[in-house]
Amino acid sequence: MKQAVRWAVCVAAIAAGALACQEHLTSPGQCPELCPGGEPTVFDTVLTPVPGSDESVSGYVSRGGGVTLLTSNGLPASEDRAVYRIASRLDSITVRDTARAYSVDSVSLAVTIVARDTLVNGLKIFLYRLPADISVDTATFAGIDPQLAPAALIDSILVPDSVNTGQVSTMLRGADVDRVALPVGTGGVLAIGVKISADSPTGVRLGSIAGNNAATFNTFVTVAVPDTTTSIVHQQLSRSAQFNTFVTQTPYTAAPGTLLIGGEPSSRAFIRFKLPSRIKDSATVVRATLELLPVAPILGLPTDRPILESRAVLSDLGPKSPLTEQASLISQDTLILGSTDTVRLEITRVIQLWQASDERPEEVALRLGGPAVPGAIAEGATFTRTLFGSTDPASPVGPPRLRITYLLAFPFENP
Amino acid sequence: MRRALLLSLGLLVPGVVAAQSSQFGVRGLGAPGRGLTARAVGSAGAFGLFDPESSVNPAALATLPAMTATFTGVQDYRHVENPAGRQSVRESRFPQLAIGGPIKRFPMVLGLSFSNYTSRDFTLASADTIVLRGVPVPVSDTFASRGGLSDLRFAASYRIRDNWIVGGSFHVITGTNRLTSVRAFADPAFQPAHQSSEISYAGVGLDVGMIRSFGPKFSVAAIARTDGRALVDRDSTRVSDVDLPYTFGLGFRWRPSPKLEVATQGIYRTWSGANSDLLAQGGTGSENTYQVAFGGELTPDPRRPFRRPIRFGARYGTLPFPLVPGEQPTEFGVSLGTGARFAQQRAGVDLSLEHVWRSAGDYSERAFLVTVGVSIRP
Repeated sequence: MKQAVRWAVCVAAIAAGALACQEHLTSPGQCPELCPGGEPTVFDTVLTPVPGSDESVSGYVSRGGGVTLLTSNGLPASEDRAVYRIASRLDSITVRDTARAYSVDSVSLAVTIVARDTLVNGLKIFLYRLPADISVDTATFAGIDPQLAPAALIDSILVPDSVNTGQVSTMLRGADVDRVALPVGTGGVLAIGVKISADSPTGVRLGSIAGNNAATFNTFVTVAVPDTTTSIVHQQLSRSAQFNTFVTQTPYTAAPGTLLIGGEPSSRAFIRFKLPSRIKDSATVVRATLELLPVAPILGLPTDRPILESRAVLSDLGPKSPLTEQASLISQDTLILGSTDTVRLEITRVIQLWQASDERPEEVALRLGGPAVPGAIAEGATFTRTLFGSTDPASPVGPPRLRITYLLAFPFENP
Repeated sequence: MRRALLLSLGLLVPGVVAAQSSQFGVRGLGAPGRGLTARAVGSAGAFGLFDPESSVNPAALATLPAMTATFTGVQDYRHVENPAGRQSVRESRFPQLAIGGPIKRFPMVLGLSFSNYTSRDFTLASADTIVLRGVPVPVSDTFASRGGLSDLRFAASYRIRDNWIVGGSFHVITGTNRLTSVRAFADPAFQPAHQSSEISYAGVGLDVGMIRSFGPKFSVAAIARTDGRALVDRDSTRVSDVDLPYTFGLGFRWRPSPKLEVATQGIYRTWSGANSDLLAQGGTGSENTYQVAFGGELTPDPRRPFRRPIRFGARYGTLPFPLVPGEQPTEFGVSLGTGARFAQQRAGVDLSLEHVWRSAGDYSERAFLVTVGVSIRP
């Protein structure tokens, strides 16, 4: 019994020792008596870019090179028409090692809706036949739009109001097939232009080659194969788009004193700062916000908001500057359409990068795009083009601003 | 079984080398350590000048009968009150490690000890609301310190005659103080600000001590010590130096009966020498301190004095670094302790419980300090 008591005491002592290991030293503080050195002081400052160092550069994603094509009817943001050129369909089919002619039974044309204004009903997609030699050089709004006339109409697709995304198609049979006839010896190339209508002005973003969801053209044919007894072979010929683009009625250009971001071909802005040594060397930056002043209300496709993105520049090589892929150095914000309020992007980590490394330029790059996979944006694939004020004296709204909130080195008592 | 008990008691003393902390150690160099073993703490430090396992008087080393290693740990349960609020805190520390023993065929004892000189272990939390970018933002600040100064002592004592012992020691005073300040914002758009600094100290000191016995019942001990100046580096850059105090101590021990032994001692330190140095660095300065202690040890069986003695005592003193200039903190404590030696006195365990009150103006705290000491004579 006595032995058991002693062991119990030992176990209790060990348990008490284990509990005693838990340290809790936090007690309430009262300044200045219990604040050796003082209190942290937070400062707030606003920097403007190095004058004349900010610029916008175009040509990163060509018109039609993005993951979606734009088509609209009266959308204030932009008036666009989409164009597809389908890969060549052969005049014959090889059956039993012999090229044989075929007859077309029916065809189907399909396009993919990536985004639409879900609040606009009665969306109808019109497919028009265009000359087969359409190319990026010849495709202009002035050249394309007049050709989208009733005489060239292939068919229209009424999109149910409940369908917001996905593939929609039309099937042509009998005499209707003649609208997409590709006579033997003409090269077998079909080009189509896309126009829309709806209950109110709106736009849609359609699939593209870059997005792996461009328009498709399927032909259902019959091949006569003479044999001991004549037999009929039914085949399907599938062709997808080989070229696509969209044309814009009023392409945006950067007016003097502005920074153009987005548009087609897509533009990026580069903004360069010079951190004061007081901040660069010894400050602890707790928040840094890049503030951009829109020159005009930001327009776009309602319910399909564009995303503005800021990335740290890894090396200043002008328009070819490599941009970071590190998520913490990328910040995004969804733009509010119709607003002229200041656009703000949190770039605290970028400023901390500038503090940590002299190798990195004190520069950010701005891109604009539509929503894509989470964390990424689809450049050159949105109706929105933004114009922000620059450091140019001609800027109607003033230059971008970098608002930094920071603490200087804490004055620890020496003692 | 005794080994198991010893082991379990050893587990009671985790942590790092430092003494108990105090909000009165926030300023200056921190809360001064006492360099006492659990045995001496049991009588409020009244026997400190006579205790060979403590680091107070090098002359006391001569009373070590054999090579002895001592290991002391403290568990601190403290309740803090100040104008910002009140809070219960706790911590575990090792304030004292010592080893020493006699030299064969020579009346000299050598010793080495590592004890706490000052401790700056604290974490202070406060809250406020500040205006940032035109918007009120609640913030919470945490200021923390870990570390302090430690005292590495090389000591020797020499027994001149049966009733005279003298000793001296060389002290290396060193340590680091890791300071961190964290400001967190209620608005998550603002990242927390973490700032830190490391302050290191280096200095040396010398002391001499004596014990004079007037027969078997009465003895007197005294010490005098100088610690020179501590060089202060902040993040590897010399920033200042601080005068460390002279220390003077006097103690008396009297055995009125075979079962009872009482002692008293007083120690005076000239911490005001650091006042100008601390004020020059923006601190609140420092003041001289004194500590007086009275205590006794009741031995139930005089033939076996190490078998569960009862130790008791009380002490009073001042602390060197005021929170508010001119308002010197004071400290009062009562203590109770006991101990046991076993394995033919080759091992021993001492326990003490001390209740301490400290105050200065609106600032006060009270603490229970559980001190456990393990000594081994291999």
